[in-house]
Amino acid sequence: MLARLLAAAVLAAAFPGAALAQDARRGADLAQTCLACHGDNGRSQIEDIPSLAGQPTDFITLQMILFREGIRRVPVMNQFAADIPDRDIEDLAAYFDGLRPGPPDDRRPRDADLYAAGQALIGPRHCATCHVPDFGGRAQIPRIAAQREEFLARSMVEYREGRRAGADTQMNGAVVGLSDPDIAAIAHYLAQQD
Amino acid sequence: MTMKRLLLGLAAVLIAGPAFSQQPAPAVPGWAVGRPEGSALAPHSPRLTVMAPDQLPVAALRLPPGFSAAVFAHGIPGVRAMAEGPNGTVFAGSRVIGRVYAITRNPDGTTRTRVIAQGLNNPNGIVMVGNNLFVFALNRVLRYDNIEANLDNIPAPVELTAAFGFPNEADHGGNHFWKVATLGPDGRIYTNVGANCNICSIDRDRFALLVSFNPDGSDRRIESRGVRNSVGLAHHPVTRELWASNHGRDWAGNDVPNDTLIRVRRSGEDHGYPFCVGSWADPQENAGRNCSEFSQPSALLGGHVAPLGIRFYTGTMFPEAYRNQIFIARRGSWNRERLTGYDVVMARLDAQGNVTGVEPFMTGLLDEANQRFLGRPADVQVLRDGSLLVADEQTGAIYRITYRQ
Repeated sequence: MLARLLAAAVLAAAFPGAALAQDARRGADLAQTCLACHGDNGRSQIEDIPSLAGQPTDFITLQMILFREGIRRVPVMNQFAADIPDRDIEDLAAYFDGLRPGPPDDRRPRDADLYAAGQALIGPRHCATCHVPDFGGRAQIPRIAAQREEFLARSMVEYREGRRAGADTQMNGAVVGLSDPDIAAIAHYLAQQD
Repeated sequence: MTMKRLLLGLAAVLIAGPAFSQQPAPAVPGWAVGRPEGSALAPHSPRLTVMAPDQLPVAALRLPPGFSAAVFAHGIPGVRAMAEGPNGTVFAGSRVIGRVYAITRNPDGTTRTRVIAQGLNNPNGIVMVGNNLFVFALNRVLRYDNIEANLDNIPAPVELTAAFGFPNEADHGGNHFWKVATLGPDGRIYTNVGANCNICSIDRDRFALLVSFNPDGSDRRIESRGVRNSVGLAHHPVTRELWASNHGRDWAGNDVPNDTLIRVRRSGEDHGYPFCVGSWADPQENAGRNCSEFSQPSALLGGHVAPLGIRFYTGTMFPEAYRNQIFIARRGSWNRERLTGYDVVMARLDAQGNVTGVEPFMTGLLDEANQRFLGRPADVQVLRDGSLLVADEQTGAIYRITYRQ
C-alpha cells in the first residue's frame, strides 16, 4: 500500500500536466492577426472561414501543426503557420479554447425540412460518439455546433473525397457514401445547434 | 477556382431542396459495423508538440531487476518505427506529423535529431538496405541513397512508388494504409497492406496482406493473407521465419477479438481475416467458415492492446534468457472501456518456436486507477550494443533500456 502510494506520488511529481504549459494570455496577444479573418470574438463572420471560439485546445494544436507541416493544405493558413513554434501554437489554442462559442451573426434561419433531414442522419452516422452529444467536441475532435454552415459542408466533402484527414481517419470513414444533399442537411442541422 | 466551383456546387445543392428525404439511408460504413449506440469511445488525441524533458515519464517506467531506462532522445513528436543505419544513426518514421527523423549520438552521449523528410503522408515504414534508407508512406516509396553520409544535405530521394504499386488512399478509404517495413534475411523487403475497412468483405489478393518485394519493387510475393493490420514485422534470427503483430477489429467487444502475434511458417498462408481470429468467428463476416481451416496465432495478446513494433532480441547485453525472444511494443487501447496495453511485453519462445508465455517487460505508462496513460510505445529496436530502444509516440521520446548485473 505504502509502495503504491509512493509510486503515485512519484507519478504526480513527474507529470505536472501539459495544461500548465499553455498560456492563454500570451495566446491572446499572438491571436491578433488571426482575428481579422476568424472574427473578433473567435466567431467568423466571413464565408468559408471557421469559427474558432470554444474549439478544444488539442484540436487547434493539431490542426496548426498539420498546417505548419503542409499536411493539411490551405495556402493562407500554411503561410501563417510556417515555422511557428510549438509554444505559440499551444498558447493560441488555449486562447481560442477559452472564448465563448456561438453562431455567426449572419446565420440563416432554420429550414425545417433540411434540419429534419440532417437530424435523421446524425444518429446512424454516430456523430455524437466523438463530437459528444452537444457537438461541442473534445480533445482532438472539433466543436461543430454553431459552426458556419458552408464551412461544415465543405469540410465533409473534403473528408469524403480524401482531401483531408485528421489525427486518424475516423472522419473519412464517417462520411463514406454521403451524398451532397446528405452533407448539406447535416451541415444545416449542426450549424443550428447552440 | 476549385473553391469557387465547390461553393457554387454546394449552393446548387442547397437550393435544390429536400430531394434527400426520398433517399434510403446510406449503408452503415465499415468502421461503424457493430458499433453500439451511445458508445463514447474514440481514438485518443495524439500529442505532436515537443514535450519538455522534465515532463517525460522515464521515472515511471518499471523494468525487471537489473534493467534500467534512460531518455535516449527527445523532442521527436510522433516518433514511431525505428531502424539503425550501419554507422549507428537511428532513423524513425511517424504517422500524422509526416516526418522522418535521423538521430545521431554526440561524443558526450547526448543525441542530435534532424528532420530529414517532412510533409509525407504517414511515413511509418522505415527500413535500411545497405547504406540506403527506404521510406514507406501511403502509396509512396522513397529511397534515400547513402543516407548517413548526407545527413546535413539530404539528397533527393529515388521515387519507387510506381514500382511497388501499393493501393492508394482512395483504395484504402482512409483505413489501415500505414506501412511497416523490414529487411528479410533473403534480402527482400517485407511490408504490409492493411484491410481497407474495420471489418468487411475485402479483395483478399489486394488487402490484409503481408507482402515481400525485391528492393527495387519487383517480384511481389504474398507472404500471408488475412492479416487485418500488422504494424510490426521481424524475422526469427535462427529459423528465418517471418513473425508479425496483428490488430483485431474494433466494435466487437472489450475483450474480443484478441490482437495477435503470428508466425508465418509457409509463404502464402492464410490467417483468417475477415472470417476468424484464431478460434474466434467474426459475428458479421464469418460467412460460415470453420476457423480451424486458418493458421492459428502464436500468441493472443489481448483485445485492443494495439501491438506495434516487434523485434527479436539478438544482442548480448541482456541475460541469456532473453536471446531470440520477442519484444512487442503495445501502443494501448482506445476501443475498450478500460485502458489496456501501453507497455512492452516479451513473448517467450521454446526451441521449436512455440510461444510459451507473454510477460510484462516495460510497464508504468498506464495509470490504471485514473484511467489515463503517460506514453504510448510504438516500436522497439535492438541497438548493436545490445541495448533496447523504445519509441514513445505520445511523448516524442526514445528510451534506452540497458542491463547491468
